[in-house]
Parts: sequence; structure tokens; C-alpha cells
Amino acid sequence: MKNVTRLLLPVLCMGTLWTACSKDEGQPGNGGEGGGQGKTKYIIASTPVASTGVADYLLTTDNITQGAISTQGNGKEQDGTYRYYITHRNRFFSLLYGQGNPGAVTTYNLNAGGELIKVSDFQSETVQVHTTMNDDIVTMKVPRSGNENALVFRIDAQKSQIAGEAQVNIVHLAGNGERAHFTWATQAGNKLFAPYMSIKGAAPDVFGTSFPDSCWVAVFSYPDLKLERVIRDNRTSYLGAYFTSGLVQTESGDLYGFSGSSATSNGTPTSTKPSAVVRIKKDATEFDKNYLFNLETASGGHRFANQTYFGNGKFLLEMYAEKGKTSGKVKFAVVDVTAQTFAWVTGTPADITSTSRLCNLVAGDDKTIYAGLTDAGGSYVYSFDATTAKATRGLKVEGGKITGIAKLTY
Amino acid sequence: MQYIKVLLTGFLCLHFFSVLSQEPSPRAIITGHVKQPSGQPVPFATVKVQNSTAGALSDIKGVYTLPALPAGEYTITVTALGFETQEKKIRLQGGANTTLHFQLAPAARDIDEVMVIGRTATQEVNRQSYNVTAIDATKLYNSTLDLSHALDRVSGVRVRENGGLGSRINFSLNGFTGRQVRFFIDGIPMDNFGSSFQLNNIPINLAERVEVYKGVVPVWLGSDALGGAVNIVTGQQLRTYLDVSYSYGSFNTHRSAINAGYTAKSGFTLQLNAFQNYSDNNYPVYVDVADINTGAYYPSQKVRRFHDTYHNETVIANVGVVNKKYADKLLLGITLGQNHADVQTGARMVSVFGKFYTRGNIVMPSLKYAKNNLFVKGLNLRVSGNYNLGEEQNVDTVYRRYNWFQQYKTYNGLGGERERTLYKYRNNNGLLTSTLDYKLNDHHSFMLNHVFNTFDRKGADELYPQSAKYEQPQKLTKNILGLGYKFDYNNRWSTSLFGKYFMQGTKYSQSYNPSGNWGDIAYRHQQNKFSKTGYGISSSYFITPRLQFKGSYERSFRLPDTYELFGDLLNLEGNIQLRPEKSDNYNVGASYSFRLQGDHRFSLDGNFIYRNTADFIRASLNQNQTKQVMENRDRVTNTGFDGEIRYSYKKLLTAGVNATYQNIRNKTRFEPGSSEHSILYNDRIPNMPFLYGNGDASLFLPGVFGKGNTLSLGYNVLFVHAYYLYWPSLGNDKLDIPQQLTHDVNATYAMAEGRYNIALECKNLADARLYDNFSLQKPGRAFYVKLRYFFKK
Repeated sequence: MKNVTRLLLPVLCMGTLWTACSKDEGQPGNGGEGGGQGKTKYIIASTPVASTGVADYLLTTDNITQGAISTQGNGKEQDGTYRYYITHRNRFFSLLYGQGNPGAVTTYNLNAGGELIKVSDFQSETVQVHTTMNDDIVTMKVPRSGNENALVFRIDAQKSQIAGEAQVNIVHLAGNGERAHFTWATQAGNKLFAPYMSIKGAAPDVFGTSFPDSCWVAVFSYPDLKLERVIRDNRTSYLGAYFTSGLVQTESGDLYGFSGSSATSNGTPTSTKPSAVVRIKKDATEFDKNYLFNLETASGGHRFANQTYFGNGKFLLEMYAEKGKTSGKVKFAVVDVTAQTFAWVTGTPADITSTSRLCNLVAGDDKTIYAGLTDAGGSYVYSFDATTAKATRGLKVEGGKITGIAKLTY
Repeated sequence: MQYIKVLLTGFLCLHFFSVLSQEPSPRAIITGHVKQPSGQPVPFATVKVQNSTAGALSDIKGVYTLPALPAGEYTITVTALGFETQEKKIRLQGGANTTLHFQLAPAARDIDEVMVIGRTATQEVNRQSYNVTAIDATKLYNSTLDLSHALDRVSGVRVRENGGLGSRINFSLNGFTGRQVRFFIDGIPMDNFGSSFQLNNIPINLAERVEVYKGVVPVWLGSDALGGAVNIVTGQQLRTYLDVSYSYGSFNTHRSAINAGYTAKSGFTLQLNAFQNYSDNNYPVYVDVADINTGAYYPSQKVRRFHDTYHNETVIANVGVVNKKYADKLLLGITLGQNHADVQTGARMVSVFGKFYTRGNIVMPSLKYAKNNLFVKGLNLRVSGNYNLGEEQNVDTVYRRYNWFQQYKTYNGLGGERERTLYKYRNNNGLLTSTLDYKLNDHHSFMLNHVFNTFDRKGADELYPQSAKYEQPQKLTKNILGLGYKFDYNNRWSTSLFGKYFMQGTKYSQSYNPSGNWGDIAYRHQQNKFSKTGYGISSSYFITPRLQFKGSYERSFRLPDTYELFGDLLNLEGNIQLRPEKSDNYNVGASYSFRLQGDHRFSLDGNFIYRNTADFIRASLNQNQTKQVMENRDRVTNTGFDGEIRYSYKKLLTAGVNATYQNIRNKTRFEPGSSEHSILYNDRIPNMPFLYGNGDASLFLPGVFGKGNTLSLGYNVLFVHAYYLYWPSLGNDKLDIPQQLTHDVNATYAMAEGRYNIALECKNLADARLYDNFSLQKPGRAFYVKLRYFFKK
């Protein structure tokens, strides 16, 4: 039963957690196989509403601000759901969460006609953490029990193959009798910053911890992935969450960390610290003790669930809709972490059942993010405006829920 | 199975002849016996004097006596069901009684008229009012088939395999899969037998026949089967026999089986079945091979499977008495077995393993008791029980990553290929079935059946002793009570009515840590109970002896079982929230046989089925792709048809084709959490074969290289239409399971009336690339030789 619990946990967690997969980084990449005419297509990943026989479909469209698109007779079928997407160097990577099993990663780009085509397949280990770093995609496979070593892979985005890997002993890293479980990883300069949660890693409370009131960020050199230091703080619980990015570097070079105060023991939240934003100044080796943006105070008691970065210090946050909760339905807010302002977003559905949080599209104009929101009435692309804190309903995706939005040029 | 249908529906005329002649001359009597070549008597053979009305029937010992005839020359004709007609001339001297013996050769015969007094057990099963197909396993004894492959030839049935010998199979019957179809051995549910005694390793020689009940399950097979049942009937009618076989073939495959029985005059009886399977399963496959370091694929490489050895060894022994005053049968038995299966791949071929394996064993004592005419004539009691003490274990302790080139990386520390485990569990599964039937008279009979099932899984992992105390109790008890009534109006019309009451209690405990302190533990106890009542009716009418109509209906339930509720810890995740699934199953069928120009015999059989299933429990790959999880689907219907045509010519040739079409549709209008009309409403359920069929032909050449020897040549073809892995209506660039077309051929040479047999087989003659499941390639062309010795007394 223990095994089943271990396996079910990520599934349960996944239902409630999510980060940005596509950023319009202003980097031209290879311009697609078409040679780069500067034209754009949007890629939308959609999962059918059915509870069995479910695959993710990749749809291609020119416009995501209006109209409708369907998976009926349309779209590239992928083998299985729990695919995760990341766009880097104008290529769209479809990663498989394989639960211990290795699996195929498929890389797509656009041909001269703007059609999504498969560039290559390569084999990778099961994916949890996935982020971009220089020309690479970095993935981490973090065991939650048993095995004491996390595997970190460097995937060359151009070649679509693994360039290197490293093992990190997460029990030694935690150093407190528990396990360091990386929530996500973020590039800062030429280092890889990986926040982690401390977990017991033993049945029946695998994801519980006896250390709910601390946060940690492991800093790795790159590309040799050597652990350089751990930056700690005791003003918040851990940053990010399982499958959720909680650390972002802004244009100034400062890193902002988001804590949902979501540490648990036996499934019950146990942190005494507030959900808050903390900061590591550029090139600093510790948290900025003078900075703490208390999100619970700012929001009237709500806690952080997920973030996507607009740019220019502004973030789109998903906050748990119920005060004091660390799970369940979400609503949106726009925050400015430098000015420490908080505004609830208007124009979203009242009762959102799922969002595309792991793969929202950042437009790159510092004020627009596209996200897929699904409620009982269907699934739509919404565009969020950082200046007005308004969401506008756009493209409808019929017959499924949007799990990712990306943009490629050709 | 179908061979028999063709070979006859036999009818024997019961003509009673009287002596009409009144001539006064001295008369004489002709007597004698009618026997088979084997020496066994032929009872009820009609012995007729040509050009006269005189005749007689042979008695139970085959002995006949003709009425006294005047002197003269006579031609005596003997006819009997299932035998060639024989004529003999005789000159009768006045007053001199004469002896005349006949030896009849078996034949395919059918006589047009009247009463039926002899049929094989297999035919009897097929004549029932249920939608049932029986396979005569004895006809397959010289083949290397296991039960699953034999069943794969039945219309409506599709057996999907993950790989070679011993690989996991998925049995489907009219679209019902997994535990919606129940398996029995001699009427005893096989639910608790573990991996060491399963369809994919039981040789065909263990069975005498296999009965497949589609949709409507008779009450004596006491179980909560949603979509049908398979009953394996082992051959025990022979008192003393020995059947030994060994086969060897491609991929270093060795299989042997011994079936022996002995019954003394005192009633002491001993039965022994032992079998063994071994295969390296190292058949070549075409696969994209990942570079061990970079992950880059070398596409479409031909490699051999290298970590797929399977073996199992099983012994079943029964000892007891038969034909005693206190028991017609009382047997104490034990089943002992073990298996070891290397795991080569995960749910997809790109997940390759080099050390991970599973093993299991079975230690199952059993008791069988039968008493006919208990207290009153016509009241029969049968009781059987068993308890499985066997264990199952997954062994994954080598921290490596393999690729298909057998290269590997070894990592530091303690890990596994998939997830480090030595988890071992025992299901502690016990079963008691009791059946009481009472035949009031020729028209009315009653049956009461009760099955009690208990399950208490206990498991531990020696690698994680600290987790042992968190093991969650998983207890289940199930009671099924069935009551049936059968009305036989006459021998043309028969109707059965039945009701079944199901009751299941599950105890499940979730452990938690009440204080938050390390190692503290408490349990939240959960209990759920199901009770349901199912019912059904089946009826059969013979318009003519050769034309039968059948209809049956059952409101069936299946309670989620322990595997679905708790998982199997390897491929199936638990889901404690499951509800019982229910289905309304309808069958209408007809069968007709006829012959053209005397020797060309045909039989036609067609069935229409309709299934309306709610809360359909259906396996889907869990969203992580590597395990399956069972879920309740709101509603699914299946409208299907299967048909079979068989042909035979004398004793020389038999051939047939069958085809199955099933239209299984999603009827869920609104998915949970959505107010939108589902775009998948009315879509075909994905990853389920919907059109498939079998063809076969056999040629029998008697007397090759000597009398009593027979050479037979056989051919089988299997066709499965391609089907989609995911919902058919979605996407335009789709994944599918391609069409399968496989040809198997075999030659069998039987010597000394079947005492010594040698068979050669080639499976997948065209070396087609076959997939039953997405990306999991099955073996290509393979050759086997089988030697068999059979003796009976």
C-alpha cells in the first residue's frame, strides 16, 4: 500500500499545484526550420475532459484572443497525459512524467508552412523539475522515498539530447534527517538556484515535515552542477511547491522567492509563518533581511499557489480562493514585488476548475500573460493585463481543458 | 470447439421392430455385440435386417439379440450415433442360433429425425439456452497452446498479450475486460490463485473442455461476473489414465505436462497434474534504442529481448475416494506452484529494464465433496473450498539504467530501475462454494449456490522496516447467493430463471500520524459495504432438431474487487472510491446445421448481443503512464454481433471462420465538473479491439504409414482490425494499434490410435510484427515440436 501511496501523492499534488513554460525571451533561436520569416503560431495543449483513454493534443492556431478551436479531428495526439511542456530556443519540448520509468521526450518546431512538426525524440528520465539554463533545459528527477539521490540532467536544446548529468544526495543536502525535495530550479547568472522543501520521505506521511518554518535554496555551479551553498531563511516556509516554481530573477538581477506557507504534517498545514515574498539581492549569498512582502496581509488572508512573471517586477499570482487554505480552487492577483502592491484580477470565471499554470505564455511586453482557464462552462484562453489587473476571455478550446500555451516563430 | 458442432448433432431412431412373419419353418436367433475399435461397447445401436421389419437395439453392454428368423440369407445393417454404418451378410441355417459381432468405426453422422440420446459433453454445453461456446480441449492436446491462446479462437473473445510466454494477458469478452469476466476451474472461482496458476501458464492438456458464457452466467457459477464467465473443466471422467507431453521450441521454450489418474476398485482415487513452462522469450523486436548517455534514439533497431525469462512450475495433487455411500466424491488436494518473471519493459517499449523481476508462489490446500441423491432422490450436493497461502513479490534493487543494447549505467547509492522495492505480500484468500440442486421431475429442477470469499492482504518490504507499521489493513469478505429454477417443457423448449444476491464488506484503514512526532501512528478505519441483487432469464427453443433459437438476459453486477480497491502494487493502483458496476446484458442467437449432397456438412451460428453498462469500471493507464487504475465510467453500451460458419467433409476435412464485431460506445453526456455536452459522447471506446475473427482448417489423413496412425495438417488465421489507442474522434495525427494478421500451421502425427503423438507447429508463419497493446511487440515466427504419450484404461 505504501507504494500506492507514494504513487498517488504526486497525482494528488499535481491537481492542486503548477509555472511558466513559455517565455518570449526576445531570443530569436533558430527561427524554425522555415528559416525565420518572423511569423508566429501559437501552440495549445489540451487534455480531453474524459477520465479514461486520455491523451494530450497539440493544436496550432494564429490567434488566441478570439474564436474557437476543437480537438475533434484536429491536433497532434501525444502518447498520454501528464506531459509537461517547455519552450526554449524556438523549440517546443513535450516531456513525460514517467513515474520512475524512462520515457520519450518529443521536440517540435514549425516548418516553413507554419505546421508543427516533430524534430526529434530522445529518451529521458521521468521529469519533475524542468527549467531553462543558457542553451540547455535542466530537468531533475527527485525520489521522494527510498533512493537518496536526485538526478539532474542537462539537455542540449539544439541537439535534443542529454549533455550531462549529476547526482545529488538529498538526504545529505537536507542534513536534518529528512530529504531535500527540489520544488523547482531557476537560472541566476551562471548559477542554478534550486529551492527545496524538506520532506520525511517515509510512509505514510511522505510529503510531511517536522521543519515547516524554514526555506532553503541550493545553489549549483553550471554546467558541472556542483553544490556550492545552501541559502536559508526562517521567516517563511519553503519556496514554491512540488511542481511549482517559487523563485524568479527579475531584470535587476534580484531573485524573488514565493512561499505559500504550505508545509504540512499528516496532510495538515503546520507552518506558523505567513505566505510571503522574500528576496535574495543580486549576487548575495543570503536572503535580504529587510525585505518581506506578506501576501496574506496584502490579500486579506489568502495564500500563494503559483506565479508567472510579467516582467518589470510584476507577477501574475494564483492565490487559493479560500482564506488560510493551501489547496483547492484558485483566483488571480497581480502583484508588484518592488512596489509591494497587490490587486485582485477581475474578469476571470468565478469557479475555476483548472488552469494552465505550468505552461502559461508570457507575451514579453511586460504586461501580458496568456493562461488557459477551465470551468464547468468550458476552457478558454484568457489574457491578463498587468497594468489594469483585468482578464479578457479569448479563444475557446472545445472538448478539453487547456494545459499549456506556447508560441513559436517560423 | 466448433469441430464437434459440425461433426454432428446426433439423433438415433428408436425403432421398435416386431416380428411379423408367421411362417412355420424352424427359426434361429442372431446375437452378438457391437463394439468400437477400442473394445468399448456401442450401446443403443440399431441392428436391422434388410428387406424386413425385424430389428433390435444393442443394450448398454453393446449386446443385441434379433428376433428369431427363418432360415435364409440376410443382410444385417448396424447404425449408431457417431459411427459409420456397417453391413454384414449372413446365411442362417434353420434352427441354428448364430453369433455375429460388429465393430463400428467412429464417424460424423447425423440422422434427421427424432430423439437425441447421445452427445458429447461439449455439445451438451453448446445446446444450453445460454450464449455459450465450449471448446473441446481434447482436440487440442497435441498443440502447444495454453488456455489463453485456445480461448483466443472463440468468437467474442480477444486475449491481448504484453509479450511472449508468461507475459501478462488481458482477456476481453464482448468488450468486457479484466475482472468483469470471471474464471472458474470445475465451477470453482479462480480469483485467488495468484500469478503461478493462470490462463497464461496452464497448458491446454489440463482441461477437458473450456466453456465461455457470454453476458449471462448460469447460477452454478456463483460469482459477480458482469460480462460473462469462463469455466475450465478438467478431465476426470477417465478412471485410470496417463498423459505426458513435452514441447520444445523457439526462444529456448520448454514446456511439459503430466496428467495422471488412478482409481482402484475400492474407490480410492489419485489425480496428479503437473506442468512446467520455461522460456527465455528472447525474441527479436524492432525498437528505437536510446543512447545510454545522451538519450538520442537509434531508430528501428532490431534487438533481442534480453531480460524476459519466464518460468513456472505447478503441481496439483488430489487424493480421495469415489462412489462411496457417504460421498460420490471426496477429494483432498493441494496446489503447489511458483513462477519467476523478468520484467523487460514498462508500459511502453522505450522503458527497458535489465534486472527487475517479479515472483510468486501458490500453496493452496483444497477440499471437494460431492454427494448425489442426498436424503432424497434427485437432491445433489457439491461443496468445495480452498485457501491460498501464496505470496507475490516485486524485486527491484539494482540502481541501474539499461538500454536495448544491454548497455547500462550504474548509479551510486541505493536505488532501483523503477522504484526500489522488495515488497512482498500475501492475499490470504479463502473460498468456499456450495451447490445444492434438486430435480423434482423431468420438468422442474432447482438450484441453490453459495460462494463465500475472504481476503486479507498482508505485506511488508524488508528494505523499509520502518514502514511496516504503516501497512494498512485491507480486508474483504464477499458472499454470493444464487437461486435458479429450470423448466423443461419438453425436449424442444427449456427456460431458466435465476436470481443472485451479492454482499461485500471491505475494511480498509488509513494510517496517519496523530501527533506529528516521528513514528507516531494511528488508523482511520474505513468500511464500505455493497449489497446488490441481480437476476436473469434464459430460454431455448428447437424449431427443428437442427434449428435452435436462444435468448437470455441478465441484470448483472460486479463488485469492485480487492485488486481494484487496493491495487496489485505493480501495475494497478488502488482506488477505494469505486462503485459496483452494473449491466443489462441481452443475447439473442440462432444456430442451424444442414448438409449438401450427403457429405458436405455446414453449421451456422449467430449471436446478437446488447450490453448497457453503467458505472463501467475500466482500466486506463494512470496519468503517469506506467500503472493502470480502475475508474467508474458513467455509461457505456455495446451492440455486437458474432457469427460462425463451419464446414466439414466426411472425416477428411473441417474448416470454419468466425467474426466478431462490437460497437462499444461512450454514452456519458456530461463529464464530472463540466456542464458542457461531452464531445466524446457516442465516441467509440478507445484501445479496444472492435472487429476481429479467426479461421481454421484441418485435414485428417488416416492410415498414413500404417493402420491406426493419423496425420493431420492444420492451419489457423487470426485477424484483428486496427484500433485507436485514444479517443477516435480526437486529433488528426493519431496513435493506433495496427492490424494483426497471423497465420499458424501445424502437423500432427498420431500413432497407435493416438497413444504416441508428435506435433510440429509454426506460429506467426509470415513473421508479422504484432502488437496487442500499444508499442509492445509480440514474438515473430516461432517453431515448436511437441511429443505426447497418452494411455487410458
